[in-house]
Amino acid sequence: MMTNILLVARREFRQIAAMKSFWLTLLLVPIALALGPLLGKALNDDESTRIIVIDRAGGSALTAIEDRFALDEDRYALRSLSRYVRRHSLENADPAAPWTQHDRWYTDADIAAFRSAGGIDAAMAKIDRVKAQDTPAYDKPTPSYAFAEAPAALAAAEGEQLQEQVDTLLDADKDKGAAEAADIVVLVGENYPADPTVRLWSNEQPPSSFVTALQDVLTGDLRQRLLTDRGFSAGDAQALQSAVPAIAVTTPPPGGGAREAMLVRSIVPLAIAYILMMSLMLSGSWMLQGSIEERSNKLLESLLACIRPEELMYGKLLGALAVGLSMITVWVGCAAIAAFATHGAIADMIRPALAPLTSPGVILAMIYFFIAGYLAISILFVAIGAMADSMSEAQGYLMPILLGILLPITFLMQAIVAGKDGLMVQVLTWVPIWTPFAVLARLGIGIETWELVGAAILLAVFIAVEVVFLGRLFRASLLAQGQKPGFKQIIDRFRSAPG
Amino acid sequence: MPVLEVDNLSKHFEGVRAVDDLSFAVQPGEIFGFLGGNGAGKTTTLRMVLDIIRPTSGTISILGSAPDRRNAAAIGFLPEERGLYGNMSAIDTIVYFGRLKAMDAGDARHRGLELLERFDLADRAKSQIGDMSKGMAQKVQLATSLVNEPELLMLDEPFSGLDPVNQGLLEEEILRASKRGAAVIFSTHVMQHAERLCDRLLLLRKGRKRFEGTLDQARATLPARITAITTAAIADIPGVAKATATNDLGGGWLEWDIVLAPDTEAGAVLERCSAHALPLRRFEEHRANLHDVFVSLVGGEDVL
Repeated sequence: MMTNILLVARREFRQIAAMKSFWLTLLLVPIALALGPLLGKALNDDESTRIIVIDRAGGSALTAIEDRFALDEDRYALRSLSRYVRRHSLENADPAAPWTQHDRWYTDADIAAFRSAGGIDAAMAKIDRVKAQDTPAYDKPTPSYAFAEAPAALAAAEGEQLQEQVDTLLDADKDKGAAEAADIVVLVGENYPADPTVRLWSNEQPPSSFVTALQDVLTGDLRQRLLTDRGFSAGDAQALQSAVPAIAVTTPPPGGGAREAMLVRSIVPLAIAYILMMSLMLSGSWMLQGSIEERSNKLLESLLACIRPEELMYGKLLGALAVGLSMITVWVGCAAIAAFATHGAIADMIRPALAPLTSPGVILAMIYFFIAGYLAISILFVAIGAMADSMSEAQGYLMPILLGILLPITFLMQAIVAGKDGLMVQVLTWVPIWTPFAVLARLGIGIETWELVGAAILLAVFIAVEVVFLGRLFRASLLAQGQKPGFKQIIDRFRSAPG
Repeated sequence: MPVLEVDNLSKHFEGVRAVDDLSFAVQPGEIFGFLGGNGAGKTTTLRMVLDIIRPTSGTISILGSAPDRRNAAAIGFLPEERGLYGNMSAIDTIVYFGRLKAMDAGDARHRGLELLERFDLADRAKSQIGDMSKGMAQKVQLATSLVNEPELLMLDEPFSGLDPVNQGLLEEEILRASKRGAAVIFSTHVMQHAERLCDRLLLLRKGRKRFEGTLDQARATLPARITAITTAAIADIPGVAKATATNDLGGGWLEWDIVLAPDTEAGAVLERCSAHALPLRRFEEHRANLHDVFVSLVGGEDVL
């Protein structure tokens, strides 16, 4: 029996491997995956937004704006550094430094302490002393905003002349090195604060973070002036302005940078779940073509004279599985070659992502759920192939099944990427046709052992039930050529005993 | 021991009796014609022999054992509806089926090349089936059924769709298999092939056996007819069941269409004509052919 199954599987594999579409897909996927990040990087605008502020009211507003944005940039850098430290467990670099304190929202005092300790460069010097050689380097964030000095001519321009000069600044191509170029121009009038109107020019919709911060700064400035005008000392006014609560931030495990680390750990399991889905759809449709060819070429009777229908079905499943495993081998191989070839940049990114593969349990779970998932879904394709006389007829059965499988998986992937582990993810884990995808996707962020084992057993039982009932359908449908079965016939075939 | 023995075989499909209490046996080296109209139950019977479908009742024995794929190595089967994988080469197709029949890959290839050589397809061994003509593909399919030198060769309507040259080639292969000692069963609508090839015949009608025996026995089921030119006294000769004058030739001479009584031979009637001094200008015997037997037993609507 096994020999016949292997013979059928080998023939199925060779038939699919002889298809141009197989090779095209096999090669296009790694190319597309390689081009994706490169294109993303190329399209990603990592330059700072260039701001020019014209302050005709004495310069205090400009100073307040620049100070506020500098503070925000440092807060962002501090948060980013804190996440990096937490992700790579580098707290021992300086346990007292704000960037090793992950349980709070950084206040202005924390920023001041960070600056006085030498800022990011001093922090990195301390981190470099303790970090392991294979820990990826910290990627210093590019400031979101850069302030440029207003051209002298602009300072006094009015009316149409002002508009023309602002337009010139906004139109200038800063990528080509135009010294006097801006993305946003802000004008604080000479009657400010008596006339609190502040004009803003921007080529595009100005970033809300910028407008909000600008409004905060100018509101603070106006309130400071109002308070001092009403007799408060500058110090009291400042104290009133800066009275803010100290917000302690607690995120349940994994939390913060550790959660990011877990998301990174989810890259490989998510990729496996995605590859499972993609290779299933591809090999399933190829297998379907083969099955329909067998029916339309009327060679089933010749085959069934030599082998049992069950052997034919198992052979087809095994062939499809071999196709899927070949695809994943080639794709993972391409990824490994890419990681090796670009040792450094990509390897640094991939290394933490490969962390789950250091656990034999996770590797076993990945292999089990990949193979079981392949069998559980492929058998549906085999059954459809046995019932349909043409691809168009097969599409009629296939579409509802594909939608039923794929739509929830799309939501599942999004939920996992967003770090959610809610009811939907739980439900999908326990419904066998989605189990492989849900478990594979959850392996990175963590899944309880009892859930893993329970889902594995349930999936195995489901496959056994599928083999029995879809096997009957397969057998009963094989020789029923030219008869499009209705719902009742399909149910009868599920029930039908051999013969 | 018969290669194939079928006893009281029946198969019902949702109230329809496709095969009804059928029994027959085929011996080694025998060519057995399986004749019947459309829907007579020929293909259903062959499918039961191959264990593709199971009988409702009755038994089948192939080389002493029940139908099972383990017998595949001893069986060659050419289905009525033929087709092969379009993107496989001729030799790979033959090897694939040979291996499914438990042959070693090398032996299957060797035997496959031999068959292709015999079928004048040696130069197309590596051609894909999809690139071949229908006739060539049919010869490749015939090779897949012969590759294992089967002890039981079953051919379901093997001549349909073949040109006269390939029909001749198929007849040669059937005779070759029989000489080798294989039991050959083939179903057909074309009576000439059955008359030329079959040692024994079985006629089916609506699933029931109407006749089983040799060609001569089949012919004997219909009375012989005689055309004679003689006088009116022929009607009185013993053994003549019915004499009908079909043409008046003048001078007392008539042309007669004569039906003999059952179990009466034409020679005996001729002898009695002489004994009775009956003048004869013509005495011609027409023996029933298989076509007549088929029409008589099965009905004329399906015969070619």
